[in-house]
Amino acid sequence: MTREEVYEKLNEVFRDVFDDEDITVSDETVASDVDGWDSLEHINLLVAVERAFGIKFTMGQTTHLKNVGEMVDVIIEKLG
Amino acid sequence: MSLVSALYLGFVAVAALIYYILPAKAKPYVLLAGSVAFLAVCGIWTLGFVFFTAVTTFFAGKIAAGKGEGRSKTVVAAVAIVINLAFMCAVKYYGVLDLIAENINNVTKATDGSFLAVAVPLGMSFYTLQMTGYVLDCLWGIIPAEKNFFRYLLFACYFPYMTSGPMNRYGELSEEFRKPVSLEYENIRKGAVRIAWGFFLKLIIAERAAVIVNAVYGDHETYTGAYVLLGVLLFALQLYTDFMGCMEVAIGTSYIFGIKIPENFNSPYMSLSIREYWQRWHITLGTWLRDFLYYPLLKSAPFIAIGDKSKKIFGKKKGKKVPVYLAMLVLWTAVGYWHGGLWKYIIGSGLLHCFYIVGGMILEPLFAKMRKPFKPEKLPYKIFCGVRTFVLVLIGFFFFRAANVPDALQLFKALFTAGASPEGGILATGIGVPDIIVLAIASAVLIAVDIYKFRPDQNDEPRSVLALTGKLPIGVRIVLLALMILAVIVFGKYGLGYDSGAFIYARI
Repeated sequence: MTREEVYEKLNEVFRDVFDDEDITVSDETVASDVDGWDSLEHINLLVAVERAFGIKFTMGQTTHLKNVGEMVDVIIEKLG
Repeated sequence: MSLVSALYLGFVAVAALIYYILPAKAKPYVLLAGSVAFLAVCGIWTLGFVFFTAVTTFFAGKIAAGKGEGRSKTVVAAVAIVINLAFMCAVKYYGVLDLIAENINNVTKATDGSFLAVAVPLGMSFYTLQMTGYVLDCLWGIIPAEKNFFRYLLFACYFPYMTSGPMNRYGELSEEFRKPVSLEYENIRKGAVRIAWGFFLKLIIAERAAVIVNAVYGDHETYTGAYVLLGVLLFALQLYTDFMGCMEVAIGTSYIFGIKIPENFNSPYMSLSIREYWQRWHITLGTWLRDFLYYPLLKSAPFIAIGDKSKKIFGKKKGKKVPVYLAMLVLWTAVGYWHGGLWKYIIGSGLLHCFYIVGGMILEPLFAKMRKPFKPEKLPYKIFCGVRTFVLVLIGFFFFRAANVPDALQLFKALFTAGASPEGGILATGIGVPDIIVLAIASAVLIAVDIYKFRPDQNDEPRSVLALTGKLPIGVRIVLLALMILAVIVFGKYGLGYDSGAFIYARI
C-alpha cells in the first residue's frame, strides 16, 4: 500500500470516528488540529485504525505517536 | 528529615558543595550516596524497601525489554509489578509501616518517639507506581532497559522526590541523570527561589490554614454555616500549598544539582472543568494513570468487545462512550484508592469526580442547549465555569479531610445549620489576629502568582515568574529573595517546640 493509499483510507477512518466529512489529515496533523480528538477519543481512533488496516499498535505506539505522519509510518511498517 | 527544615537545607548545602567540588564522573555517585544517607535517616526498613523495589524492577525491566519470548517477558513483568503493588496495598490496608516503625521504636528504646521525629515517611504509593511504570515502559518498548544498575538505583532513590513526588518516567529522567552538569548561576538561583517559595507556601500558608481547618473539621457542633464553608475553603488552600510547597522544595533542590524534574501543578484551581482540573493538579499522577491504566483498559479485548456490543444497542455515537464510562469508573476508583485505602478518599477524590465527568459527558446535549443563550468565549461565562468547577472540587474536600464518610455527611449538615457563632468568632479556632493578616497577605501573593502563571490552555507552558524576576536588576532581585526568606523566618510556623506538620501527601 502506498503512502497515498494509506492516507485515503486513514481519512475515511478519521471522518467516521469524528463524524466530520471535511477532515483531511496530513503528516503534520496533531490531536489539537482535529475537533474532538482528546484523550477520551484517542483510543477509539486507534482501534478504528487497527481494524481498518488489520494491524495492532503496541502500547508504546498508542501513547507516544507524535503526529499522523508517525502513525502512517507505523502503519506502512506493519503492512510491509 | 522533613523537606521544610533547617536540617534539610544544611543537608542540601553540604551535598551540593561536595557535588560541585568533585569531577563530573563522581557527581552521580555523590547524589546516590546523598540519597542513600537521606533514606537511611528514614530508617533501615525504608532503605531496604527501596532497594528491594529497585532490584526487582531493574531485573524485571531488563527481561521485559529483552529479546526473549513475549509471553515469558509479560509474566516476569507482571510478577514484579504484582509483588510491588501487593506490598503497597498491604501498607495501605494494614499500616505495615506503622507496625515496622513501632518495632523499631521498641528496638531503639526511643520511647518518646524521637526516632519518628526525624523519620519522614516515604511517599509509597507514588513511588510504587513510578517504579512499576518503568517495568511497563520496558515491556511495551517505550524505552530500552537501563544497563547500569547504579544509574537506575539513583532514579530509584533520588532524594529530592522521595517524599511525595513528582512521579517520574525513566525515559524523561535518564538523560537528566546522564548529562554533564557544571556549576551554573541560573540553576542555583532558580533552585534557591523555588525552595524559598516552597517554604513560604508550607510554613506561612499551609500551617496557618491548618489551625482553622482542624478546628472546623473537628467540631461540627460549634462550627456551622459560614464557618464550615471557610473551613473547607481553607482546606483547599492548605492541601494545595502543602503539596505544592513540597513539590517546589523537591523541584528547587533538583535544580541546585542541575537536574530538571517534571512539574506537578499548573494553577489547578483556575480550571474551567473537572477534566481540566485533573490535567492541572498532580499532573504526573494523571499522566501515569492515563498511560498505564486507562489506555490499556480501553485497548483490551473485553473493552473493545463491550464497545462493539454497546454500539449495536445504543447506536454508534452513544455506544462508543460506554467502554469509556466503564474505564473511567475503574480509573477513578483507582485514583481514590491511591489516595488512601479508605472510603472517604475513594468517594472524595475518586467516584465523585467520576460522577462529575461521566455525568457531564452524558448530559452534554442538555448542557449544550443550556449554554446557547450565553457566550462561552466571554469572561463572565468563563468565571462561572471556574467557580462551578471549584465548588465541585470543594464538595470532594468535605470527604477528603473528614475523619470518615459519616463525618463528612455531618459536615454537610453543619454547613446548612444556622447555629450560634462561637464565642470569639473565628479566634475561637485558636488562630490569632496577626496570623489572620499574615495568612490573608500570603494567600493574596499566591493568588497573584497563580493568575500570572495561568494560561487558558493547560497544555501550554505556564508563564514563568522566575523569568519575570530574572529581568529585574540584580539589586531588586536580591531584595525580593531576602524579603521572602525574611518572611519565612519571621512568619513561618516553625522553631523550637514547633513541629511543622508532615506533608499531607507524604502519608499517601
